[in-house]
Amino acid sequence: MNRRRLLVNLVLLSAAGLSVSAALLSAGVPGQASSVPDVDPHRAYGSKNAPIAMEVFSDFQCPACKQLNKTTNQLLVDNYVNTNKVYLIHRDFPLPMHAYSRLAAHYVRAAAQLGKGEQAEQTLFQNQEKWEQTGDVDGTLAGVFTVADMTKIRALAKGTSLDAAIDKDIALGKGYNVNQTPTTIIHYKGQTYPVVGVVSYDVLHQFLDQLLAQH
Amino acid sequence: MMQASPLNFRRAVIWLGRLLLGGIFIYAGYAKLTYPNHNLWPYFMLKFSLAANLSTFAFQVESYKVLGAAGSAVVARTLPFVEIALGVLLLVGWQLRIWASVATAILLGFLVLVTRAYLLHMEINCGCFATPEPISLKKIFQDGALLLLALLMTVFAFQEARKPHPWTAAPSD
Repeated sequence: MNRRRLLVNLVLLSAAGLSVSAALLSAGVPGQASSVPDVDPHRAYGSKNAPIAMEVFSDFQCPACKQLNKTTNQLLVDNYVNTNKVYLIHRDFPLPMHAYSRLAAHYVRAAAQLGKGEQAEQTLFQNQEKWEQTGDVDGTLAGVFTVADMTKIRALAKGTSLDAAIDKDIALGKGYNVNQTPTTIIHYKGQTYPVVGVVSYDVLHQFLDQLLAQH
Repeated sequence: MMQASPLNFRRAVIWLGRLLLGGIFIYAGYAKLTYPNHNLWPYFMLKFSLAANLSTFAFQVESYKVLGAAGSAVVARTLPFVEIALGVLLLVGWQLRIWASVATAILLGFLVLVTRAYLLHMEINCGCFATPEPISLKKIFQDGALLLLALLMTVFAFQEARKPHPWTAAPSD
Protein backbone atom coordinates (compact mmCIF):
# COMPACT_ATOMS: atom_id res chain seq x y z
CA MET A 1 0.00 0.00 0.00
CA ASN A 2 2.83 2.39 0.98
CA ARG A 3 4.63 1.51 -2.22
CA ARG A 4 1.54 2.19 -4.31
CA ARG A 5 1.10 5.56 -2.66
CA LEU A 6 4.74 6.34 -3.35
CA LEU A 7 4.29 5.46 -7.01
CA VAL A 8 1.22 7.67 -7.33
CA ASN A 9 3.04 10.54 -5.65
CA LEU A 10 5.97 10.05 -7.97
CA VAL A 11 3.78 10.17 -11.06
CA LEU A 12 2.06 13.33 -9.83
CA LEU A 13 5.38 14.98 -9.01
CA SER A 14 6.80 14.06 -12.42
CA ALA A 15 3.78 15.53 -14.19
CA ALA A 16 4.09 18.71 -12.18
CA GLY A 17 7.80 18.91 -12.88
CA LEU A 18 7.31 18.47 -16.62
CA SER A 19 4.66 21.18 -16.72
CA VAL A 20 6.91 23.62 -14.93
CA SER A 21 9.85 22.74 -17.17
CA ALA A 22 7.79 23.23 -20.31
CA ALA A 23 6.63 26.62 -19.10
CA LEU A 24 10.08 27.77 -18.11
CA LEU A 25 12.13 26.45 -20.99
CA SER A 26 12.55 28.63 -24.02
CA ALA A 27 10.23 28.07 -26.95
CA GLY A 28 12.72 29.56 -29.40
CA VAL A 29 14.12 32.98 -29.82
CA PRO A 30 11.86 35.59 -31.38
CA GLY A 31 12.68 36.39 -34.96
CA GLN A 32 15.40 38.90 -35.67
CA ALA A 33 16.26 40.86 -38.78
CA SER A 34 17.12 38.55 -41.60
CA SER A 35 20.25 40.56 -42.48
CA VAL A 36 23.24 39.69 -40.37
CA PRO A 37 25.19 42.76 -39.22
CA ASP A 38 28.92 43.49 -39.33
CA VAL A 39 30.06 40.69 -41.55
CA ASP A 40 33.78 40.63 -42.26
CA PRO A 41 33.89 39.55 -45.90
CA HIS A 42 37.25 37.86 -45.31
CA ARG A 43 35.63 35.56 -42.74
CA ALA A 44 32.42 34.77 -44.59
CA TYR A 45 31.88 32.06 -47.18
CA GLY A 46 29.20 31.45 -49.74
CA SER A 47 26.53 33.62 -51.27
CA LYS A 48 25.04 36.52 -49.28
CA ASN A 49 21.73 35.69 -50.93
CA ALA A 50 21.65 32.15 -49.56
CA PRO A 51 18.38 31.42 -47.72
CA ILE A 52 20.18 30.40 -44.53
CA ALA A 53 22.90 32.38 -42.73
CA MET A 54 24.98 30.66 -40.08
CA GLU A 55 27.20 32.54 -37.66
CA VAL A 56 29.64 30.24 -35.89
CA PHE A 57 31.12 31.68 -32.71
CA SER A 58 34.27 29.79 -31.90
CA ASP A 59 37.52 29.87 -29.99
CA PHE A 60 40.69 28.43 -31.54
CA GLN A 61 41.79 26.92 -28.23
CA CYS A 62 38.45 25.18 -27.62
CA PRO A 63 38.53 21.39 -28.21
CA ALA A 64 34.83 21.29 -29.05
CA CYS A 65 35.37 23.95 -31.73
CA LYS A 66 38.15 21.84 -33.18
CA GLN A 67 35.79 18.85 -33.26
CA LEU A 68 33.07 20.89 -34.97
CA ASN A 69 35.55 22.13 -37.52
CA LYS A 70 36.86 18.63 -38.17
CA THR A 71 33.61 16.68 -38.35
CA THR A 72 31.00 19.15 -39.56
CA ASN A 73 32.30 22.31 -41.18
CA GLN A 74 33.99 20.83 -44.22
CA LEU A 75 30.93 18.78 -45.15
CA LEU A 76 28.78 21.84 -44.53
CA VAL A 77 30.93 23.88 -46.90
CA ASP A 78 30.92 21.18 -49.58
CA ASN A 79 27.21 20.46 -49.49
CA TYR A 80 25.56 23.69 -48.43
CA VAL A 81 27.88 26.68 -48.70
CA ASN A 82 29.22 25.83 -52.15
CA THR A 83 25.70 25.14 -53.39
CA ASN A 84 24.48 28.56 -52.23
CA LYS A 85 22.17 27.20 -49.55
CA VAL A 86 24.10 28.55 -46.57
CA TYR A 87 26.05 31.75 -46.00
CA LEU A 88 28.66 30.80 -43.40
CA ILE A 89 30.16 33.49 -41.18
CA HIS A 90 33.03 32.81 -38.77
CA ARG A 91 32.96 34.86 -35.60
CA ASP A 92 35.74 35.00 -33.04
CA PHE A 93 34.72 34.47 -29.43
CA PRO A 94 37.95 33.92 -27.48
CA LEU A 95 37.10 32.69 -24.01
CA PRO A 96 38.87 34.30 -21.03
CA MET A 97 40.21 30.96 -19.74
CA HIS A 98 42.16 30.32 -22.97
CA ALA A 99 45.38 32.30 -22.82
CA TYR A 100 46.29 32.20 -26.50
CA SER A 101 42.97 32.11 -28.29
CA ARG A 102 42.86 35.86 -28.90
CA LEU A 103 46.36 35.73 -30.35
CA ALA A 104 45.27 32.88 -32.61
CA ALA A 105 42.24 34.93 -33.72
CA HIS A 106 44.56 37.81 -34.62
CA TYR A 107 46.71 35.60 -36.80
CA VAL A 108 43.76 33.96 -38.55
CA ARG A 109 42.16 37.34 -39.30
CA ALA A 110 45.50 38.60 -40.59
CA ALA A 111 45.84 35.54 -42.83
CA ALA A 112 42.23 36.01 -43.96
CA GLN A 113 43.11 39.45 -45.29
CA LEU A 114 45.56 37.70 -47.61
CA GLY A 115 42.87 35.25 -48.65
CA LYS A 116 44.41 32.47 -46.55
CA GLY A 117 42.10 32.49 -43.55
CA GLU A 118 40.72 29.03 -44.15
CA GLN A 119 44.20 27.50 -44.36
CA ALA A 120 45.29 29.28 -41.18
CA GLU A 121 42.18 28.13 -39.36
CA GLN A 122 42.65 24.49 -40.39
CA THR A 123 46.33 24.57 -39.40
CA LEU A 124 45.63 25.96 -35.95
CA PHE A 125 42.80 23.53 -35.23
CA GLN A 126 44.79 20.54 -36.44
CA ASN A 127 47.77 21.47 -34.25
CA GLN A 128 45.78 22.79 -31.33
CA GLU A 129 47.36 20.49 -28.72
CA LYS A 130 50.84 21.71 -29.63
CA TRP A 131 50.49 25.49 -29.76
CA GLU A 132 48.06 25.78 -26.85
CA GLN A 133 50.82 24.59 -24.46
CA THR A 134 53.40 27.13 -25.56
CA GLY A 135 51.39 29.82 -27.31
CA ASP A 136 53.55 29.44 -30.41
CA VAL A 137 50.85 30.37 -32.90
CA ASP A 138 53.43 32.12 -35.09
CA GLY A 139 55.66 29.06 -35.33
CA THR A 140 52.71 26.80 -36.11
CA LEU A 141 51.60 28.95 -39.04
CA ALA A 142 55.16 29.52 -40.21
CA GLY A 143 55.28 25.81 -40.92
CA VAL A 144 52.64 26.12 -43.64
CA PHE A 145 53.00 29.62 -45.07
CA THR A 146 55.82 31.06 -47.12
CA VAL A 147 58.27 33.47 -45.54
CA ALA A 148 56.80 36.34 -47.54
CA ASP A 149 53.27 35.52 -46.43
CA MET A 150 54.31 35.14 -42.81
CA THR A 151 55.97 38.56 -42.88
CA LYS A 152 52.71 40.13 -44.08
CA ILE A 153 50.64 38.11 -41.61
CA ARG A 154 52.82 39.15 -38.68
CA ALA A 155 52.55 42.81 -39.66
CA LEU A 156 48.76 42.59 -40.01
CA ALA A 157 48.37 40.58 -36.79
CA LYS A 158 49.93 43.41 -34.80
CA GLY A 159 47.37 45.90 -36.13
CA THR A 160 44.83 47.38 -33.71
CA SER A 161 42.01 47.14 -36.24
CA LEU A 162 41.94 43.39 -35.70
CA ASP A 163 41.35 43.93 -31.98
CA ALA A 164 38.35 46.08 -32.80
CA ALA A 165 36.97 43.44 -35.17
CA ILE A 166 37.35 40.71 -32.57
CA ASP A 167 35.71 42.89 -29.91
CA LYS A 168 32.83 43.51 -32.29
CA ASP A 169 32.35 39.76 -32.74
CA ILE A 170 32.40 39.26 -28.97
CA ALA A 171 29.81 42.02 -28.48
CA LEU A 172 27.62 40.43 -31.15
CA GLY A 173 27.94 37.08 -29.42
CA LYS A 174 26.95 38.56 -26.09
CA GLY A 175 23.94 40.04 -27.79
CA TYR A 176 22.94 36.49 -28.70
CA ASN A 177 23.69 35.34 -25.11
CA VAL A 178 26.63 33.27 -26.29
CA ASN A 179 28.49 32.03 -23.22
CA GLN A 180 30.31 28.97 -24.50
CA THR A 181 31.83 27.78 -27.70
CA PRO A 182 31.05 26.62 -30.24
CA THR A 183 27.72 28.36 -30.60
CA THR A 184 26.05 28.54 -34.00
CA ILE A 185 23.34 31.06 -34.73
CA ILE A 186 21.20 29.94 -37.66
CA HIS A 187 19.15 32.63 -39.38
CA TYR A 188 16.26 31.69 -41.65
CA LYS A 189 13.29 33.75 -42.78
CA GLY A 190 13.60 36.21 -39.94
CA GLN A 191 13.85 33.48 -37.30
CA THR A 192 16.96 32.84 -35.25
CA TYR A 193 17.90 29.39 -33.99
CA PRO A 194 20.83 29.29 -31.55
CA VAL A 195 22.60 25.95 -31.32
CA VAL A 196 25.21 25.33 -28.65
CA GLY A 197 27.80 22.59 -28.75
CA VAL A 198 29.24 20.15 -31.23
CA VAL A 199 26.50 19.32 -33.69
CA SER A 200 27.32 16.38 -35.93
CA TYR A 201 26.88 16.83 -39.65
CA ASP A 202 24.14 14.17 -39.74
CA VAL A 203 22.05 16.13 -37.25
CA LEU A 204 22.79 19.51 -38.81
CA HIS A 205 22.03 18.56 -42.38
CA GLN A 206 18.66 17.06 -41.40
CA PHE A 207 17.78 20.33 -39.68
CA LEU A 208 18.97 22.47 -42.59
CA ASP A 209 17.04 20.32 -45.06
CA GLN A 210 13.93 20.70 -42.94
CA LEU A 211 14.35 24.48 -42.91
CA LEU A 212 14.96 24.59 -46.64
CA ALA A 213 11.89 22.46 -47.28
CA GLN A 214 9.88 25.34 -45.87
CA HIS A 215 11.43 27.69 -48.47
CA MET B 1 4.08 -5.07 20.49
CA MET B 2 6.66 -4.68 17.69
CA GLN B 3 9.91 -6.39 18.33
CA ALA B 4 12.06 -4.08 16.21
CA SER B 5 11.73 -0.47 15.13
CA PRO B 6 10.94 -0.18 11.42
CA LEU B 7 13.60 2.52 11.16
CA ASN B 8 17.15 1.53 11.81
CA PHE B 9 20.49 2.56 10.39
CA ARG B 10 20.30 0.15 7.44
CA ARG B 11 16.85 1.26 6.37
CA ALA B 12 17.77 4.92 6.81
CA VAL B 13 20.75 4.45 4.48
CA ILE B 14 18.56 2.63 1.98
CA TRP B 15 16.04 5.45 2.00
CA LEU B 16 18.74 8.09 1.72
CA GLY B 17 20.36 6.20 -1.13
CA ARG B 18 17.11 5.78 -3.01
CA LEU B 19 16.13 9.42 -2.68
CA LEU B 20 19.53 10.96 -3.30
CA LEU B 21 20.86 8.61 -5.95
CA GLY B 22 17.47 8.29 -7.62
CA GLY B 23 17.17 12.05 -7.87
CA ILE B 24 20.74 12.49 -9.08
CA PHE B 25 20.40 9.85 -11.80
CA ILE B 26 17.14 11.37 -13.04
CA TYR B 27 18.66 14.84 -13.11
CA ALA B 28 21.82 13.60 -14.83
CA GLY B 29 19.82 11.95 -17.62
CA TYR B 30 17.48 14.93 -17.95
CA ALA B 31 20.39 17.38 -18.11
CA LYS B 32 22.10 15.44 -20.89
CA LEU B 33 18.90 15.57 -22.95
CA THR B 34 18.11 19.22 -22.34
CA TYR B 35 21.49 20.97 -22.02
CA PRO B 36 22.83 23.13 -23.61
CA ASN B 37 20.00 23.45 -26.14
CA HIS B 38 16.51 23.55 -24.66
CA ASN B 39 14.07 24.53 -27.37
CA LEU B 40 10.87 22.56 -26.96
CA TRP B 41 8.81 24.12 -29.75
CA PRO B 42 8.13 23.67 -32.63
CA TYR B 43 8.52 19.90 -32.83
CA PHE B 44 11.35 19.95 -35.34
CA MET B 45 13.27 22.28 -33.00
CA LEU B 46 12.70 19.85 -30.14
CA LYS B 47 14.10 16.99 -32.24
CA PHE B 48 17.04 19.11 -33.31
CA SER B 49 17.78 20.30 -29.78
CA LEU B 50 17.73 16.74 -28.44
CA ALA B 51 19.92 15.49 -31.28
CA ALA B 52 22.34 18.40 -30.86
CA ASN B 53 22.58 17.81 -27.11
CA LEU B 54 23.27 14.11 -27.59
CA SER B 55 25.84 14.98 -30.23
CA THR B 56 27.59 17.29 -27.75
CA PHE B 57 27.44 14.57 -25.08
CA ALA B 58 28.95 12.08 -27.53
CA PHE B 59 31.87 14.45 -27.96
CA GLN B 60 32.30 14.60 -24.17
CA VAL B 61 32.29 10.80 -23.98
CA GLU B 62 34.82 10.57 -26.82
CA SER B 63 37.10 13.07 -25.07
CA TYR B 64 37.84 10.41 -22.41
CA LYS B 65 39.65 8.54 -25.22
CA VAL B 66 38.29 5.15 -24.17
CA LEU B 67 35.75 4.68 -26.96
CA GLY B 68 35.91 5.70 -30.58
CA ALA B 69 33.36 7.88 -32.35
CA ALA B 70 30.92 5.03 -32.97
CA GLY B 71 31.08 3.71 -29.41
CA SER B 72 30.71 7.20 -27.98
CA ALA B 73 27.62 7.78 -30.13
CA VAL B 74 26.03 4.58 -28.81
CA VAL B 75 26.76 5.56 -25.20
CA ALA B 76 25.48 9.10 -25.78
CA ARG B 77 22.21 7.86 -27.23
CA THR B 78 21.52 5.34 -24.48
CA LEU B 79 23.05 6.52 -21.23
CA PRO B 80 20.68 9.46 -20.54
CA PHE B 81 17.64 7.18 -20.83
CA VAL B 82 19.28 4.47 -18.75
CA GLU B 83 20.04 7.04 -16.04
CA ILE B 84 16.46 8.31 -15.98
CA ALA B 85 15.02 4.81 -15.87
CA LEU B 86 17.44 3.78 -13.14
CA GLY B 87 16.62 6.88 -11.11
CA VAL B 88 12.90 6.18 -11.30
CA LEU B 89 13.40 2.54 -10.34
CA LEU B 90 15.50 3.52 -7.33
CA LEU B 91 12.90 6.05 -6.19
CA VAL B 92 10.06 3.60 -6.59
CA GLY B 93 12.07 0.89 -4.84
CA TRP B 94 11.00 -1.98 -7.08
CA GLN B 95 13.52 -4.86 -7.21
CA LEU B 96 15.87 -2.69 -5.25
CA ARG B 97 18.64 -5.27 -4.96
CA ILE B 98 18.98 -5.46 -8.73
CA TRP B 99 18.84 -1.76 -9.49
CA ALA B 100 20.97 -0.76 -6.54
CA SER B 101 23.61 -3.18 -7.83
CA VAL B 102 23.35 -1.65 -11.32
CA ALA B 103 23.66 1.85 -9.89
CA THR B 104 26.74 0.81 -7.92
CA ALA B 105 28.34 -0.70 -11.02
CA ILE B 106 27.63 2.44 -13.07
CA LEU B 107 29.02 4.73 -10.39
CA LEU B 108 32.11 2.55 -10.08
CA GLY B 109 32.62 2.85 -13.83
CA PHE B 110 32.25 6.65 -13.66
CA LEU B 111 34.74 6.88 -10.78
CA VAL B 112 37.31 4.79 -12.64
CA LEU B 113 36.98 6.93 -15.78
CA VAL B 114 37.14 10.23 -13.95
CA THR B 115 40.12 9.12 -11.86
CA ARG B 116 41.92 7.88 -14.96
CA ALA B 117 41.31 11.18 -16.73
CA TYR B 118 42.60 13.10 -13.71
CA LEU B 119 45.75 11.00 -13.42
CA LEU B 120 46.44 11.43 -17.14
CA HIS B 121 46.06 15.22 -16.70
CA MET B 122 43.31 15.28 -19.31
CA GLU B 123 41.80 18.76 -19.46
CA ILE B 124 38.30 17.67 -20.32
CA ASN B 125 34.81 18.21 -18.98
CA CYS B 126 33.30 15.57 -16.75
CA GLY B 127 30.09 15.39 -18.83
CA CYS B 128 28.26 14.17 -15.72
CA PHE B 129 25.50 16.74 -15.93
CA ALA B 130 26.25 17.98 -19.46
CA THR B 131 27.58 21.30 -18.08
CA PRO B 132 31.17 22.49 -18.59
CA GLU B 133 32.60 20.96 -15.41
CA PRO B 134 36.35 20.25 -15.50
CA ILE B 135 37.65 17.09 -13.87
CA SER B 136 39.22 17.77 -10.49
CA LEU B 137 40.02 16.09 -7.19
CA LYS B 138 36.76 17.49 -5.82
CA LYS B 139 34.85 15.65 -8.55
CA ILE B 140 36.61 12.41 -7.69
CA PHE B 141 35.69 12.77 -4.01
CA GLN B 142 32.08 13.53 -4.92
CA ASP B 143 31.86 10.45 -7.12
CA GLY B 144 33.58 8.40 -4.42
CA ALA B 145 31.04 9.50 -1.84
CA LEU B 146 28.13 8.62 -4.13
CA LEU B 147 29.70 5.24 -4.86
CA LEU B 148 30.06 4.56 -1.14
CA LEU B 149 26.41 5.42 -0.57
CA ALA B 150 25.36 3.19 -3.48
CA LEU B 151 27.49 0.34 -2.17
CA LEU B 152 26.06 0.62 1.35
CA MET B 153 22.54 0.83 -0.06
CA THR B 154 23.14 -2.32 -2.10
CA VAL B 155 24.66 -4.31 0.75
CA PHE B 156 21.94 -3.26 3.18
CA ALA B 157 19.23 -4.01 0.62
CA PHE B 158 20.52 -7.58 0.37
CA GLN B 159 20.70 -7.86 4.17
CA GLU B 160 17.21 -6.48 4.64
CA ALA B 161 15.81 -8.83 2.02
CA ARG B 162 16.85 -11.82 4.15
CA LYS B 163 14.81 -10.59 7.08
CA PRO B 164 11.04 -10.24 7.21
CA HIS B 165 9.70 -6.73 7.66
CA PRO B 166 8.99 -6.22 11.38
CA TRP B 167 5.44 -5.04 10.66
CA THR B 168 4.66 -8.28 8.88
CA ALA B 169 6.55 -10.57 11.23
CA ALA B 170 4.45 -12.71 13.50
CA PRO B 171 4.51 -11.39 17.10
CA SER B 172 6.37 -13.61 19.52
CA ASP B 173 4.62 -14.95 22.61
